[in-house]
Amino acid sequence: MSARKPLLDALVSMLTPRDVLVSCLGANARYLPHMKVPSPVFALCDSMGAAIPLALGMALQRPDRHVIALEGDGSLLMSPNVLATVAAARPVNLSILLWVNGRYESSGGQALPPAPVDWAALARAAGIRHVESVRDVAGLRATFPNARSAGEPAVLVVDVAFDPAEAIPPYSERPGEIRARFRLD
Amino acid sequence: MTGARQIVAGLESAGVTIAASVPDTWIGKLVEEVRRSSAIRVVDVAREEEAVAVACGASLAGGRGAVLIQNAGLLNCGGILAGLVELYRLPCFFLVSFRGDSRDPIYYHEPKGRVTEATLQAWRLRYAVADRGRDLAAQVRQGVEAAAEFASPYVLLISGEDLA
Repeated sequence: MSARKPLLDALVSMLTPRDVLVSCLGANARYLPHMKVPSPVFALCDSMGAAIPLALGMALQRPDRHVIALEGDGSLLMSPNVLATVAAARPVNLSILLWVNGRYESSGGQALPPAPVDWAALARAAGIRHVESVRDVAGLRATFPNARSAGEPAVLVVDVAFDPAEAIPPYSERPGEIRARFRLD
Repeated sequence: MTGARQIVAGLESAGVTIAASVPDTWIGKLVEEVRRSSAIRVVDVAREEEAVAVACGASLAGGRGAVLIQNAGLLNCGGILAGLVELYRLPCFFLVSFRGDSRDPIYYHEPKGRVTEATLQAWRLRYAVADRGRDLAAQVRQGVEAAAEFASPYVLLISGEDLA
């Protein structure tokens, strides 16, 4: 299991200007403004559960772009129904990276309800066929290109270590700034 | 022309590209009409908050999204209205079945009807109740344009009678 930042670094290093990145609230959204991301980024600072359907709307509107949604297990536990929605819509250009650490990291690291959710099985059961599990940076580098070229919705279940001492930067962009900067050519 | 067809004509003329929906009896009839449109893609979602995010995603990507849901579902959407639509100032047009209003024959919708307008007012949302006596397509178009102009939600409430 890897720390978050090396995983995020690896993902960003594989992005291109034709990709579109949508991040759920929390650590990823807070790190991204400090990173050199080649693709447009829309980062949430609230609204748990919105990242995947937001990315789905973008993907359906712009089939010429590949849209990547970053979602957390706490958010998806709140709204797992979206997996069925994605499976039904069948966008050819949507990859979902589910960051699994068993914590509500954004709100202080409280534990999720202690149920042994099998996220990969849940995604498959909802009808998503391209599902892979990722345990480290090498695994992400191996699986992400396949997800992007799958031609169907893909879910990568990424195990990420929870570190209560991780120095996650604070939110550094206001929603109005994020909205104003987000443009798809 | 049926009310449902007028509503679809309004969505089309306003440039709506994606309509995300959770159906009820009334909205389901409308959605069947929307599916006949070559300009609008219907996205069937499992819960109303998803519909809001899908519509906002379409708008952020250069299209125009609309949300077609029942008022019960609208009442589910307080969090995402505040934390996404209002916070990021995104246009989002809602067409909502006004269950439990004075014209609704089904008794168990009454509690929702009683709180719908009060909730919209408490949430400070722009809204209107559709008037079947006037051009429905124009009312829809004006609602979509108002959402775009103010970069905010706009809700048009309809009755089942409006769709006939």
